Amino acid sequence: MSLSDDTATRVDDGPVRKRRSLRSRRPAVLGAVLAVIAVAAVVLVVSAGGGDERPAVRAAGGGPVAGGTLTYALAGTQVSLDPAVAATAVTGLIDRNIFDSLVAQTGPDTFAPWLATKWTVSGDGKTYTFTLREGVTFHDGTPFTAEAVKASLDHVVDPATKSAYAASLIAPYEKSRVVSDHVVEVTLKRPFTPFLQALSVPYLGIQSPAALAKPVADYRPVGTGPFSYVSWEKDKRVTLRKNAGYASPPAGASHEGAAYLDTLVFEFVPEDATRWGALTSGQVQAIAGVPPVNAGKLRSLPGFALNSQETPGLNYNLYLNQTRGPLRDVRVRRALSAAVNVEELVRNIYFGHFPVARNPLSRTTASYDPTAESELASYDPDAARRLLDEAGWTKTDADGYRVKDGKTLTLVWPYWAEGNKEQRDVLAEGIQAQAKQVGIKIERPAVDTGAFVAKYLIGGGYDLVDVSFARPTPDVLRFAFASGNTYAKAGGNVALVDSPQIDRWVEEAAETSDPATADKDYAAVQREVLRQAYVLPLYTPVQLTAFSAKVRGVAFDAQTYPVFHGAWLGD
Amino acid sequence: MAPLAIRLARRLALTLFVLWGAATLAFAGMRLVPGDPARIIAGGVQANATPEVLDAIRDQYGLREPVGVQYVLFLGRLLRADLGGSYQLGRPVSSVIGEQLGSTLSLATGAAVLGFCLAVALALLTAGRPRARAISRVLEFCSISTPNFWIGILLLAAFSFRLRWFPVLGDEGAAALVLPCAALALPIAGVLAQVTREGLERALDQPFALTARSRGATENRIRARHALRHAALPVLTLSGWVLGELLAGTVVVETVFARQGLGHVVVAAVRGRDFPVVTGVVVLSALTFSLINIGLDLLYGLVDPRVREAAA
Repeated sequence: MSLSDDTATRVDDGPVRKRRSLRSRRPAVLGAVLAVIAVAAVVLVVSAGGGDERPAVRAAGGGPVAGGTLTYALAGTQVSLDPAVAATAVTGLIDRNIFDSLVAQTGPDTFAPWLATKWTVSGDGKTYTFTLREGVTFHDGTPFTAEAVKASLDHVVDPATKSAYAASLIAPYEKSRVVSDHVVEVTLKRPFTPFLQALSVPYLGIQSPAALAKPVADYRPVGTGPFSYVSWEKDKRVTLRKNAGYASPPAGASHEGAAYLDTLVFEFVPEDATRWGALTSGQVQAIAGVPPVNAGKLRSLPGFALNSQETPGLNYNLYLNQTRGPLRDVRVRRALSAAVNVEELVRNIYFGHFPVARNPLSRTTASYDPTAESELASYDPDAARRLLDEAGWTKTDADGYRVKDGKTLTLVWPYWAEGNKEQRDVLAEGIQAQAKQVGIKIERPAVDTGAFVAKYLIGGGYDLVDVSFARPTPDVLRFAFASGNTYAKAGGNVALVDSPQIDRWVEEAAETSDPATADKDYAAVQREVLRQAYVLPLYTPVQLTAFSAKVRGVAFDAQTYPVFHGAWLGD
Repeated sequence: MAPLAIRLARRLALTLFVLWGAATLAFAGMRLVPGDPARIIAGGVQANATPEVLDAIRDQYGLREPVGVQYVLFLGRLLRADLGGSYQLGRPVSSVIGEQLGSTLSLATGAAVLGFCLAVALALLTAGRPRARAISRVLEFCSISTPNFWIGILLLAAFSFRLRWFPVLGDEGAAALVLPCAALALPIAGVLAQVTREGLERALDQPFALTARSRGATENRIRARHALRHAALPVLTLSGWVLGELLAGTVVVETVFARQGLGHVVVAAVRGRDFPVVTGVVVLSALTFSLINIGLDLLYGLVDPRVREAAA
């Protein structure tokens, strides 16, 4: 026995080695040096410019090839795949491939047959009779009949469905009646011209009645579209498979018959940089939501194509609450509008990828009136100062803000961070700074969703609110400016406009069957809201989509949804 | 054996108390946030839900009852281990969590193992070696002060987008787990390495280290066999903190790497006021915390005989 109390040391150590010192240094130094080299290598690799392994552009020779998987990375995610329930843009995009609609939108206000081969509208504009396409079956084998149309529409308006969006599109819906197997009659409570447009969106796609009859927890989207649903891994991906028997594309589609792609995968990738890297390294074939700062770079990269689609509907606008404080005075509203150099701000922030807006409607919307912008109080800081003088805001305080009756000219613009996208917060800072130049103080309290809805949108405690709303119909003007469409009543009138004249115009336009009358009414609304400066148009949101050059044949429909029915993968 | 049983029973009772506290806090938190829950469940700000839809939601989830009654009902369900159904997903909370748990668990376990191994290796190599320690310290401070988010982006840019060694999207197989685990492990390894090294250095200055050396034990043996055991206690104590870091980090890492997981679920649930899902995740986290702490308590005894004797 040795004196050591540690048997392990004694037994295992063997002969005593000679040591230069008690504490050896070599391995540690070596390890640390290796670590430094590794970090340096990472930094070098990351910062090294120019990719060398990128797929080269090949000449587009030969016809479409069937087969393959297309992976499309999306920015958002979704809570439900039921188009009748969800309000998220992602759901519409995915469901567009699963569901066909009764009619297809082909232009700003033109429609083509799809699942309905023809339709008639009664003289009073309240009854629509649809004749349906025969020989179409749902993915689950259920035949497509008038029953399916009735079941789909009834499902949308059923309060138990908890529709967040679809039901609001067909608010005047009263009932559907099955006339025969392939004729269905839809009755509305009042004439409603935007009805056909509503029917053409994926949120009102026709669903299999057998699938709708199942309990909510077992819901699977079953339509008649070119792709059928396979799986949804929450927050990860949705996988669709080709519907081999597909034969019901909308009239005028570039491709008949089944889709070329075997599989269509939608990946949810929330991080911009990750999505961008996944595309440029060839791990996905397409991405949505290309950051504008990268869009320019993409043009110089071989092997990729950028697609930009201007969103129809309401632009990204700033709405001026005309019922509260200083903004009750139209001169102050016009002063704010004239204080902001929208054009310069938008061009600088978005690198020219987002068009500057000078009208609440985007120019791709039906009944858009390009002459209405003459009513807009455009950038003119001197005019803005004059208007403020006229309105009685003649004094200035120590910070340069206008004062009247001892009160500073202050406007509250709540900042709802969760809804922030496309660097809108940066744009707002620019607006804030320019308003300050003429003496208007804009406050931006940061608020969470609950407070934003309760205290501001419903409580009305704001002067300014910014929002965009995409929908390809001029009826969005009714959504945004009719007195009955305040946020509390599920509308978008956040400027709290209360004008009998505007109400008359938008209602007449929604009920008339004469396009010329509708155009005239909508033009009048565009002029009036700009003249009254209820709204300050900022920019037209653009969907920036990037594809690998291998992807061919993707089309975009009138609602800017990508159509994968005719897409194929080249080499 | 009896004292151990009593101690365990006491700890388990305490765990129940912690669970009740966590659930109550979650309940209070979700009710105190301003705003009408029905409207947020209906889809938030963008939703154009009609008043009829809002009424249907209030009826279905009992949102009209006084808060006190809602609380009692909530506790009753919890006692029966019934987490309820998700408001947004229309499915039982247990299945929502169960489906995502595996992904988060493999990420967190991988990161914890990687973090501990890195920390111990670094500490063993650099303790008591001033130059190596200085270099290692710089790296550790870098990794501690860099957000997970940025580490993740750098790793992706280098190893996925540029070198293409690892996929960014495929979540099948071990290859897809490497980068997320590394992003999550590096800050943890930084802190643990510092603590471990300090413990090692203190142990190496003790007379027993000199004794072992005098018997001819190699440096590596002294460090790994003798000193490490002394350095292990503070590291064990920090394990609770590591768990918290892992939970917080998974939310970020899952976003950057587009992974499924509980982090995603809980963020979406808080935003969408999906109360049953939030409660489910909170209760599960509290339970994990408590159980790991009980496990650590028992481990102290294994590592350090003095603790064992004091308890007996």
